[in-house]
Amino acid sequence: MSEVISARALRELIGGWLKAGIRVAGPRRVATDQVAYAWLDRPEDCLLGGYIHPHNSIKEFFFPRHESLYEYRIEGKKIALKNPEPLADERIVIGARPCDAAAMPILDHVFNWDFKDPFYNRRREQTTVVTLACREHDHECFCTSVGLGPDAERGSDVMLYELDGDMYEVRCVTDKGGNLMAGRTETSQLTGSVPPGPAKKFDLAYLRETIGSKFESPVWTEATLRCMACGACAYTCPTCHCFDIVDEGNARGGIRAKNWDACQFPMFTLHASGHNPRNTQPQRQRQRVMHKFSIYPDKFGDVLCTGCGNCTRHCSVHLGVQTVLEAAEKSWRNATV
Amino acid sequence: MLNDLRQTARQLLADKKVDVVIGYGQADPAGPAYPVFITRPEDTEQLVFNDRCYNNLTTFLTRKEIRAMGRAAVLVKGCDAKSVVVLAVESQIDRQSVVVIGMACNGVGQPSLAKCRTCDVHMPRHTDMVIGQAADHAIEAKDRYAELAEMMSKSASERLAYWGQELSRCVKCYACRQVCPMCYCERCVADKNQPQVIKTSATTMGNLAWQINRAFHLASRCVGCDECTRACPAGINLRLLNLMLAQATEEQFDYRPGMDKDAQPVLGCFSVKDKECFIK
Ligand code: SF4
Ligand code: SF4
Ligand code: SF4
Ligand code: SF4
Repeated sequence: MSEVISARALRELIGGWLKAGIRVAGPRRVATDQVAYAWLDRPEDCLLGGYIHPHNSIKEFFFPRHESLYEYRIEGKKIALKNPEPLADERIVIGARPCDAAAMPILDHVFNWDFKDPFYNRRREQTTVVTLACREHDHECFCTSVGLGPDAERGSDVMLYELDGDMYEVRCVTDKGGNLMAGRTETSQLTGSVPPGPAKKFDLAYLRETIGSKFESPVWTEATLRCMACGACAYTCPTCHCFDIVDEGNARGGIRAKNWDACQFPMFTLHASGHNPRNTQPQRQRQRVMHKFSIYPDKFGDVLCTGCGNCTRHCSVHLGVQTVLEAAEKSWRNATV
Repeated sequence: MLNDLRQTARQLLADKKVDVVIGYGQADPAGPAYPVFITRPEDTEQLVFNDRCYNNLTTFLTRKEIRAMGRAAVLVKGCDAKSVVVLAVESQIDRQSVVVIGMACNGVGQPSLAKCRTCDVHMPRHTDMVIGQAADHAIEAKDRYAELAEMMSKSASERLAYWGQELSRCVKCYACRQVCPMCYCERCVADKNQPQVIKTSATTMGNLAWQINRAFHLASRCVGCDECTRACPAGINLRLLNLMLAQATEEQFDYRPGMDKDAQPVLGCFSVKDKECFIK
């Protein structure tokens, strides 16, 4: 026995949410050959298939690329601070990929570790994540190499599985998801399944065990010398979470803003003295991969990567976690025999 | 062609004429090619050249990590060859100490990228050698700027709405800047933070400011390799801006960056023939 919903009813449901003032985000065609997760204006804006992975990730609905932490106004000797209104509206992300949804519990660790980030947490509370299991993958997908897969439920409140005849099986994973879908589905005999995901690209257990002792390995330079030093990987990554805090304004007032930042920029670690502890691009790439597969896991237990493939997919020199780890595994295994 | 390329690279390294050959490698024939840095004659077998060789490798000529490797030979397609000319004119490279290997090119991408459909430099120019043969034919200016003409047929408010919409997706990843051979500044104005000249916020206004700044800095210098367009993860058609700059430079100054190695660069010279009609 299962619960199902027709594609038409699902769209009507999205329409109903929008009418009720709920903000709904989902995969949307934003240019001729570009699909992005974006706010939807109408239910028909939502794509539920026909693409592998949107060019961004759902993190921006929880940790936006730019947000104001507070406003300040300077009048004479007085400085007035104003906090932003707390987020009141309810939100739904629909059509998330499993590799995007899985990033949310990973990000929860970071935003609730020494400091509980009220902005992030508020958005997490207000948002329900409805995930669409994957039927296709491309060369860049490697969810299966990091313990996830095309039907991984981690981080999702509801899972949708495509069925024949424009139907979806609905599996509610959390109470939040159950509440969202209550009374919206029909009982059926059909159950959804997905074809196997991408073949494994590297041996995670081996790499986790080995990477900590490979800080000086020549593979970092060999595999990453071509890095262009942009932020395309970090900014399309569902799990990268670095930010910078800057004041924007003039002598009369302005805002204190939290903006995305990326470890591949030379400026990221540049000291005021002019010294840069990560002075070359391979050192910065090593940091990105080590953070994901050594530093973060040592602290929180999980790897900081869901295998979505966006870093390689959007890299102008075809470089990402996958290409670096493949090269690393090959080089380290050869070195030990 | 591939044999010629590998042989040439092997010889350059074996004769110690260069320390590194900047070329293309490709792990998976179904995937894109990417830059490789070959330092040993025996590794030249890794070199490939095909229609997946997108990158403009001349960007690496000014990178400190690559400079540290010594004298370089670099592979260029016709469009990339133009950036070598501009880099030399702007004194960023010593042209005599770089070996420029031109690759005859029939276009990259399947289907070909927009730039390739109106390319008039299939045979690279001003290189030290050209490997392979490709047919070149002149393309009329109006065809080179056809996409721009379509854009410019819209009203100013429609165009502003278009750019507002497109740039609302910009995340300020600076991939457009990082891949650009002409963006070699050690510290970009966008990274100047005492004071912050251009906001780091990726808001639509901040993004417009960023792209307008980039356009100003690339006017009469952009060679139209369109790597910025290809690198943009948000799929913003930066090519339209590049075409705009190129058309203005060609119409106003009869100059196409990188086409003629002896032409005076527009921003670096004064000519009594310069039009001054923009001064009102
Ligand atoms: S590191 Fe790459 S593959 Fe892993 S989650 Fe981030 S973008 Fe996806
Ligand atoms: S623009 Fe011309 S030279 Fe450049 S890649 Fe296209 S066809 Fe080749
Ligand atoms: S602005 Fe774009 S098209 Fe122009 S030279 Fe730079 S990367 Fe090439
Ligand atoms: S590459 Fe695209 S997203 Fe990145 S800064 Fe440039 S325009 Fe913005």
